[in-house]
Amino acid sequence: MEFLTSLLNGLSSGGTYAIIAIGYTMVYGIAKMLNFAHGDIIMVGGYAMFSTLLLINQPVVALIFAIVFCMILGVCIERFAYRPLRGASPLAVLITAIGVSSLLQSLAQIIFGAAPKMPTRLQISGAIHIGSLAISYGTIVTLAVTVVLMVALTVFVKYSKVGRAMVAVSEDRGAAQLMGINTNAIIAITFAIGSALAAVAAYLMLMKAPSLTNTLGAMPGIKAFTAAVIGGIGSIPGAMLGGVLLGVIESLSLSIPVLAPFTDAIEFAILIVILLVKPAGLLGKTRREKV
Amino acid sequence: MKKILAIVLAALMIAGCCVAFSSCKGNDGTIKIGLSGPLTDSAAVYGKGVANAAQMAIDEINEKGGLNGIKFELKVMDDVNDKTKVQNNYAALVDWGMQISLGCVTTQPALEFKTLSATDDIFFMTPSASADAVRSEANGYQMCFADKKQGVAAANYVNGLGLSKIGVFYQSDIDYSKGIYQEFRNNLSGSITVVEASFTNQTKTDFTQQVSLLKDCEFIFMPIYYQEASLFMTMAKDEAGIKTYYGCDGLDGLDTVLDLSTIPQAITMLTHFKADANDYAKTFVANYTAKYGTDTLNQFGASAYDCVYAIFGALKKAVEAGKTVDASTSASEMCDILKNQFNGGYEYTGAVTGGTEGKVKWTADGFVNKEAQVHVLKEANS
Repeated sequence: MEFLTSLLNGLSSGGTYAIIAIGYTMVYGIAKMLNFAHGDIIMVGGYAMFSTLLLINQPVVALIFAIVFCMILGVCIERFAYRPLRGASPLAVLITAIGVSSLLQSLAQIIFGAAPKMPTRLQISGAIHIGSLAISYGTIVTLAVTVVLMVALTVFVKYSKVGRAMVAVSEDRGAAQLMGINTNAIIAITFAIGSALAAVAAYLMLMKAPSLTNTLGAMPGIKAFTAAVIGGIGSIPGAMLGGVLLGVIESLSLSIPVLAPFTDAIEFAILIVILLVKPAGLLGKTRREKV
Repeated sequence: MKKILAIVLAALMIAGCCVAFSSCKGNDGTIKIGLSGPLTDSAAVYGKGVANAAQMAIDEINEKGGLNGIKFELKVMDDVNDKTKVQNNYAALVDWGMQISLGCVTTQPALEFKTLSATDDIFFMTPSASADAVRSEANGYQMCFADKKQGVAAANYVNGLGLSKIGVFYQSDIDYSKGIYQEFRNNLSGSITVVEASFTNQTKTDFTQQVSLLKDCEFIFMPIYYQEASLFMTMAKDEAGIKTYYGCDGLDGLDTVLDLSTIPQAITMLTHFKADANDYAKTFVANYTAKYGTDTLNQFGASAYDCVYAIFGALKKAVEAGKTVDASTSASEMCDILKNQFNGGYEYTGAVTGGTEGKVKWTADGFVNKEAQVHVLKEANS
């Protein structure tokens, strides 16, 4: 029974990782850059919800505001920080992303202070009891939101015009441009979707654990990035798989007292093993290179 | 004209030197105690509490005639809880003629102070810097419990509760939490089953799994800081199986981030100061409040008050045993005298932070040995 509980907890945190990982993987797949500020957009989403709750005490309104705010922020970051560097060396873009990350964290600390904020209004408590197994509403909501978002994203990417344009840009940006696709607009839309997902992830995190600091998204961001790499960066189903896998491993490891202190080491060791066996990740495409 | 100017400048220089020399190490017949603590910025409430209480103790001692007629004097420097300020403060205090010190109020500056004072062999007793490393040099002492000693005190308390199973929630990647937990475990009665859950700096944003592990433990010991404790308590507030939380001094400040009334469980913590623990504490609180109000009244100040009296008592005992202690005794001689007392079984009676008996002793390895108190932050909701 304890194993089942841990598994469910793992699926729940894995769902959150998956949603963040999709943000990473979409941006990487389409813009070919690692947006290290993605984790901090989660944090901004958290503070956006916290601030809205101070004015209007409605979690749903707060969530919608946070999604809109993060989408605008994501598009602005892309427009002013990343777009001028398109064509520049990947290293320059990477450093810029790290700079944006520090900027967002510092700004949040200046505005909201270093002490944690506790938006308990977002917390969902209570559980459904099946025999001796208790499934919290938080877990159910997370799993439901994750599944719905994944299905919606897959359908969007496969069947909508914009979605197919995204695939085209990710396959070959130059060719897509020649076919009349506005690549700048597609990249901006990708950032908007990724940032909206980050806001949703912020909600899912605070719903279970309502403690908000300026580093809220830092570690989940890195974990989700790991998940995206495990699954195969650039692949949406891969990000889902990687996220859920990482969440379950983390949860099971935390449930065993001897292993608990080494949870992070275990997670990253698994990343190394997977990359040794499958360098492109579990569902990543292996590209043949002609030499 | 140039000659006159040169003579005037030379005269001014000589005058300046005279002033400097007269102020330097000038001995006006008092025993000088130095302290560096945060008097401004966010930790100011601790520094001010310490400075006020230490001054109050010194005033009381001086009023009663000091040490056979020799008065004490206190100088406090502001370090803003920033360890980079400590070196300047320390130099200024040494220039002033500091013979004994109360060290620093907070841990990071105290560790810097420890290193500096060890080279000059200046005795210090910090009221509140609790890291074990503060005691790593022979000249450094603490009035508060050292971190790991809190584990021993906590285990003794839990052993006396008659529980058969407890939960422990600790942070495995910081010395404070891990150290307390290890000592706690070493001293815990073997008949008590421990359910253990931990987290690291990387897994501190979500405690779902840890709550699942500990939800059936009536009593949870959490030697962690208040930020993480507040999150755990918020996440576990619906767990009816948990009745009591028990933490160490890291829980100080919990009420600044968490509305305690939203937590149904009882929250208690180990402390060395309770306002009504003994008559000395009651008198201290009354006198302090009359003099400085209640804003800066805290365990840090109470501990500083004890530091001054403990040092005074130790010096008095040394004098009775034939040692010479006066305003001209060097810092290093003072250090030897005090070390011999504190390592030699000296017991200080009348301690505000000394539990119901008001007694404080130091073990042979120089760590403080006194009764721990249980401070109830909040009773369980009925």
